[in-house]
Amino acid sequence: MSDLQSLVSELHGAVERKQFDAANDLLSRSKRALLLQNALIPTSSTPPQLVVLARQVLELGALASIRQTDAQLFTRYYQQLQPFYDLERHAGLPGQSSSEVDFSTSQRSKITGLYLLLLLSMGDSANFHTVLEGLVEEASLKGGRVEDDACIKYPVELERNLMEGSYDKVWRETKSERVPSEDFGLFSNVLIGTIRNEIAGCSEKAYPSLPISNAKNLLFLESEGAVIEFAKQRGWILRDGRIYFPVEPEATARSEKDILMASGTVIENALGYARELETIV
Amino acid sequence: MPAERRSLRSNNKSDTSSSANGEKANSNSQSSGTKDKAPTTRAAANKAKSGPTKKDAKGASNGSMGDDDQSHTNGSKSTENGVNGSEDVEMGEDTAGAPTSSSNTSKDRKSNEKMTVVVPPTKGSRSSGKDKEEDVTMEGAEDGDENTEPEVDPATKAIQDIKSNFTLLERAVAHFDPRFTLRVLRSISSMRKHLTPEVLAEVIVETYSASSSTASFLLEALDQANAFENAPASSQMEVDSDKKPIPKETLAEVDAYLSILVQIYLFDQREIQKGAQFSTSLIERLRALNRRTLDSLAARVYFYYSLFFEQIAPLPPSPAAAVTTIRQPLLAALRTAVLRKDVDTQATVMTLLLRNYLSTSHISQADLLISHNPFPVAASNNQIARYMFYLGRIRAIQLQYTEAHSHLIGATRKSPASQVARGFYQASHKLLVVVELLMGDIPDRAVFRQPALERAMHPYLLLSQAVSVADLDGFLNIVNTHSETFRKDGTYTLILRLRQNVIKTGIRMMSLSYSRISLRDICLRLGLDSEESAEYIVAKAIRDGVIEATLDHEHGFMKSKEVGDIYATREPGEAFHERIRACLALHDESVKAMRFPMNQHRLELKSAQEARERERELAKEIQEGDMDDEDAGGDFDAI
Repeated sequence: MSDLQSLVSELHGAVERKQFDAANDLLSRSKRALLLQNALIPTSSTPPQLVVLARQVLELGALASIRQTDAQLFTRYYQQLQPFYDLERHAGLPGQSSSEVDFSTSQRSKITGLYLLLLLSMGDSANFHTVLEGLVEEASLKGGRVEDDACIKYPVELERNLMEGSYDKVWRETKSERVPSEDFGLFSNVLIGTIRNEIAGCSEKAYPSLPISNAKNLLFLESEGAVIEFAKQRGWILRDGRIYFPVEPEATARSEKDILMASGTVIENALGYARELETIV
Repeated sequence: MPAERRSLRSNNKSDTSSSANGEKANSNSQSSGTKDKAPTTRAAANKAKSGPTKKDAKGASNGSMGDDDQSHTNGSKSTENGVNGSEDVEMGEDTAGAPTSSSNTSKDRKSNEKMTVVVPPTKGSRSSGKDKEEDVTMEGAEDGDENTEPEVDPATKAIQDIKSNFTLLERAVAHFDPRFTLRVLRSISSMRKHLTPEVLAEVIVETYSASSSTASFLLEALDQANAFENAPASSQMEVDSDKKPIPKETLAEVDAYLSILVQIYLFDQREIQKGAQFSTSLIERLRALNRRTLDSLAARVYFYYSLFFEQIAPLPPSPAAAVTTIRQPLLAALRTAVLRKDVDTQATVMTLLLRNYLSTSHISQADLLISHNPFPVAASNNQIARYMFYLGRIRAIQLQYTEAHSHLIGATRKSPASQVARGFYQASHKLLVVVELLMGDIPDRAVFRQPALERAMHPYLLLSQAVSVADLDGFLNIVNTHSETFRKDGTYTLILRLRQNVIKTGIRMMSLSYSRISLRDICLRLGLDSEESAEYIVAKAIRDGVIEATLDHEHGFMKSKEVGDIYATREPGEAFHERIRACLALHDESVKAMRFPMNQHRLELKSAQEARERERELAKEIQEGDMDDEDAGGDFDAI
């Protein structure tokens, strides 16, 4: 127990100082120690202090992995932390006997917020909402709202703006000091990449042409050179200081193909009806 | 064999409210079938036949119908039932107009009722409205009956009913026909209000020998552990007078049936803790048995088992709820049921598990359960409706609105619209409306006008009005004022997602009404924060195909494109195809759902048909024979 304690504090220092090699080494050692004490999954017989230590180890592991931008590892840590957070959920309810486990050091909302942000940046909105649903339920049980928690509020608002299409708001959110902690900032670049691609996709459809200077503002790029770079990547045509978006050339060709396809399906359908009718009559 | 024929026609899908009569039908049809028990009901049937009034004529016609419907086919039967149903409503009015009518008429009605119960409200919703009406009047008449006739003791009646159900169960085992069991289960709801520990104890004492462990198990749960010592003499007497020998070994089905009655009694008495304990040990006993005829009973046991645990102290929304403790046994039960191909239990337990998971918002677990377990196709209608509801809910949370929509449509259509299942009907409609709104559709106004939904759906009506006129402020207002209701219904998070739909609808309306509109105006009308936001939002709407328009960034306006002719596209053809396919699928399913009478009946028909065929063939042969002779003659001539 005591050497685990020292391991945790060492680990904490390593993660804070961003010495990830050392942290990874410490992490595997502490996880092994936890495993030996059978504390990786909390049970009713696990001593409370050990539960706290185990949670700390896993949380630090999650943070270390996110700082190393290892999404898979982070997801794994998040899953491992769930039983610990379930304990916390139980204890946080009114009318529950308070257990001896100390929840004050828990970084639950931060980890959950990071996980939500990760899901968002991966575009996994189904899971995002699944997790969120549980949080909303829990919050309303306590008589509060999910948005009361800054760490949760951030991804939730981002998601809402993304879905709505207010990309300028997303941009401002990721830039400003509204980012709850520096770990959340790690996702900013990913998110900006996402919205830039979204905007580019929208612009292709929405504008016939666009001056380069305007495109710079629209796409949140620093310079016109960056715009030209980006335009080349997307295959846009640059002429006279304007961007011309490629019109879908196959519009006419496709309609002919369409007719062929359509007549094929019509014939197929009609034959199908005939067969069915035959079985009925 | 009228009794058996009845059972074929009675349908397991008829809602529970009508089973009040179903049970009566049991006793009646039995009396005519076996002729040796339930003398009172038989007397009723006799009276009905011999009475002089107009109603009796109907009773007689019904009786005769019972005799000759052996030769009817399924189709004609249903039409006859329809006629009967309408007659019955008329009768109800009759008695209401003449409150002096004696017990005779009410009994008369019983015999009539026997016929109407048989009306299978197959899909629940259509005919059940009428059924409900009948039931209400029926019950009123019954109560009056009990008042005027003190000798009909509800307790003895209940005992008799329970015992008559035993015979049904025995027959179910003997014929291996689950429909008898289903009929027994349906009769429970009518018996429910007559259940007392005394009644149950008496039945148990008469059914089991004193040393039976099942008997003591059941009696203990009822606090009647010494029932054997208390009432052996009287029960012995009754058994003798009934001339009904006690079966040496009671069937497991009878055990299960009595256990369900005990469960219901405990539940009605709100003895939740005790009920939970009883159910837990009951399930232990049931798991040891592997009998297919027990399936539907076992399913019911699991249902009440879960119901008990849902009421225990830490209530569901809390993550520490007592329901979480029964997941393990339920999963085990599911596994056993799947291995034994026990469809009833499988379906019931799966819906219970889903309900369980969703109650504590463990959505991913529920999703995993669904993805790993196919739901049995042959499950009963109610279970399918439940399953579809939960599935729709899960899919809605996962943003798969199209899938959610089709599941919820299924759930609302399959749910019985009668009084008993009103809660389910409302809940599924609420969810359906929200999902439709999320898909960008505006729900049909008629949905909100149904009497069963009008009050409960009011906030949702306001909500869809706000969405349809794209009133963002109004929408947020409604969400805030009704947030409690929405939270309670579990639709709150879904409704929060609607904001973007409100905006989209607004953009669409503007694009339709203006050929050109400045972004500034869009921003003002939708109450957005900035023109920039408006531009991005419109661009996204264009990309998502919500509107057909182009943006001009330098001048800051949106220009709508000319709307093309929809009939030049394949859209109408596809919609048409979709409908035809639905109709064909409906036809196929109704063919599959048809139930044909048991073999002996068909044999008769077949022999009759064969005889006719033979005759026809004979005639043909004779004809052809003549021809042949002539032909042959010609041939011979030629030779």
